[in-house]
Amino acid sequence: MCGIAGFTVGEGGSADAGRSERLRRMTAALRHRGPDAQRAVLLDGVALGHARLAILDPAGGVQPMTDPGTGVTLVFNGEVFNHPELRGRLSGHRFRTRSDTEVILAAYLARGIDCVRELNGQFAFALWDPRTRELWLARDRVGIAPLCYAIGDGVLAFASEAKALFAGGFARPALDAAAVKQSLQLWAPVAPRTLFEGIRALPPRSVARWAGGRLEVRRYWDLDLGAEPSPVEAERAVEEVGALLEDAVRIRLRADVPVAAYLSGGLDSSLVCAMAQRALGGALSTYSVRFSDRAWDERAFQDGVAAALRTRHVPAELAAREIGELLPAVVRHAEQVLVRSAPAPLLRLSAAVRRDGTRVVLTGEGADEIFLGYDLYKETRVRQLWSRDPRAAWRAAPLAGLHRAQRALARGELVREFYAAGLDRPDAVEFSHLVRWGASGRIARFLSADFAARTEGEDPVASLVASLPPAVRRWRPLARAQYLEFETLLSGYLLSAQGDRMLMANGVEGRFPFLDHRLIEHVARLPDRLKLRRLREKWVLREVAARWLPPCDAARPKFPYRAPIAAALVGPAAPAWSAEVFAPESVRALGVFDPDKVLRLVRKVEASPAGASEADASALVAIATTHLLGRAFREPTPVAAPHLAAVELVA
Amino acid sequence: MAEDARVRERIRTFIAEVFFVDRFDDEQSLLRTGLLDSMGMSQLVAFLEEEFALEVRDEELVPENLDSVSRATAFVTRKQGRPAA
Repeated sequence: MCGIAGFTVGEGGSADAGRSERLRRMTAALRHRGPDAQRAVLLDGVALGHARLAILDPAGGVQPMTDPGTGVTLVFNGEVFNHPELRGRLSGHRFRTRSDTEVILAAYLARGIDCVRELNGQFAFALWDPRTRELWLARDRVGIAPLCYAIGDGVLAFASEAKALFAGGFARPALDAAAVKQSLQLWAPVAPRTLFEGIRALPPRSVARWAGGRLEVRRYWDLDLGAEPSPVEAERAVEEVGALLEDAVRIRLRADVPVAAYLSGGLDSSLVCAMAQRALGGALSTYSVRFSDRAWDERAFQDGVAAALRTRHVPAELAAREIGELLPAVVRHAEQVLVRSAPAPLLRLSAAVRRDGTRVVLTGEGADEIFLGYDLYKETRVRQLWSRDPRAAWRAAPLAGLHRAQRALARGELVREFYAAGLDRPDAVEFSHLVRWGASGRIARFLSADFAARTEGEDPVASLVASLPPAVRRWRPLARAQYLEFETLLSGYLLSAQGDRMLMANGVEGRFPFLDHRLIEHVARLPDRLKLRRLREKWVLREVAARWLPPCDAARPKFPYRAPIAAALVGPAAPAWSAEVFAPESVRALGVFDPDKVLRLVRKVEASPAGASEADASALVAIATTHLLGRAFREPTPVAAPHLAAVELVA
Repeated sequence: MAEDARVRERIRTFIAEVFFVDRFDDEQSLLRTGLLDSMGMSQLVAFLEEEFALEVRDEELVPENLDSVSRATAFVTRKQGRPAA
């Protein structure tokens, strides 16, 4: 992966000093994404910058890349994993490099922008066609590679991260109030909204065409999870899923540098590691996060899998206190409001990976979304059954098993009430998420009266529902739930704030075999019973795993990845910045939260950090990260002079 | 009834302070409307036991006894041997 940035220039616009300075600043602001080279080019019509993390064809894949015959120029962030196959089909093009960048260029020249449908990969690119004076932006199918833009005064400016738009003076770092409110409840803003006023994200699976001062955005691929299931023998399904996943791993090992893997200790990453280890003939390195607080730690599972697979295993250990210290950097890179601290350890992990000399890792991200791994899907199945006869208590009985047992709910009747949200509307598209969003929506209690009044018209769930493609409403309940997970949790949070941003902060590229679109499409057509068998999650994947992993690892129940919160933000081990962030005058100045409630919350958690509820801990993270985000870019983004000087302006 | 009103007020104050809610009505389902989560319900039960010196038995942990301010008030006054209003 790399970083890209640029802006349009009116016809005949010359390469004046002001423009080149802006372009250099934007490119330098993305240096963490591409520490190997930063190059920029000013053309008649567009300015394009590229910060390169060299993975493929280090000598030949230099960007911006121009086709000498047509002048079509590309800046590209990401990977096209099927580039050798595409190259074979583009026989009319005389290739000058071995890079996937040139494959995109050649595919565009041969077939136009619809060539994106042929790309199997993770990408965000900007392509300038001087023949038609069109600028095309494109983003991969699930939103692995980021891309945002701002439009003003007839100019389109774009970048991998918002900080480059600030550095170029194309946007101001003012928080978007509706996006803050959406993030608190949904964990991410509803695309195309971002946390900053005036900055939009190009949604996943979309291309955008800028011509004549107008931007048109359209989807080029449907995330069709509602396809009618095809009848299939269970045995055959296991074989096909195994073969597809193995191929998805195989093509993700294509690189001119070593490819390693993250090993969480769970089923998904363990299986990816097993497949990669076999393909690499035993040369795989694996990396894991360890917590010194054993309540959160999974080292026993990680070490067990690493030993069984004989990988070269490198753990990175951290304490709760360090999570607090990392949070300002986490927010600066994520450019989001967070309600969990879980991205912080991943920022530390990518630093350890980079220090170890590795720049590409595979991860198990995406398996829970496509194979129905989350408890949310079980909850949806039970609630759907229950909704047919809300008086039949037995229908709701399995919900108690999904819930952490607590005394007040010992007998199950109270658990049932907790899960009864929206039971009278089982056909509502948001039905599956009403319990979760009811809980997360409680953070809104901490909003200041003024902010609450200003955002009264913003209902995050309604905004999300309004953004959904109409077809989703007609899908099966589990497919609807999956789509909502893809839209909010996966692309809005796991792949971005907790994924790309934490990896690329240290110049490490993540690759995600489970998000190969061939696998997504294939698994979507499998009957639900092969994924969620009664209340046993990821059935078909477990069967695949049983052929690759020792029995105990293949059968291990899901253990959600989480990180400590309360002790990382308040109390004796809290970081220096937290006292200022939670102080009433700071909270008042930010204008989002109620200073008295924040003070009471901090005191409550300080008095009993271990007794802090999940809602209290989420609120603490949200208050802290909103503040950190609000001030992270307040001053003009400082671009270090040597970094600015390192940007090569090419003619 | 004065005692009933006192119990009601204590429960309301507890919910408002511990769960940071400003507006809720006495008949509202605490769980269905997301006012409390399951851990919050545990905290409420612990509060009732301590504040009103009573013991809540497992079989009493049902929505009819606890899932609104009015129900919890009636439950406490009943446990204290006084009829609810």
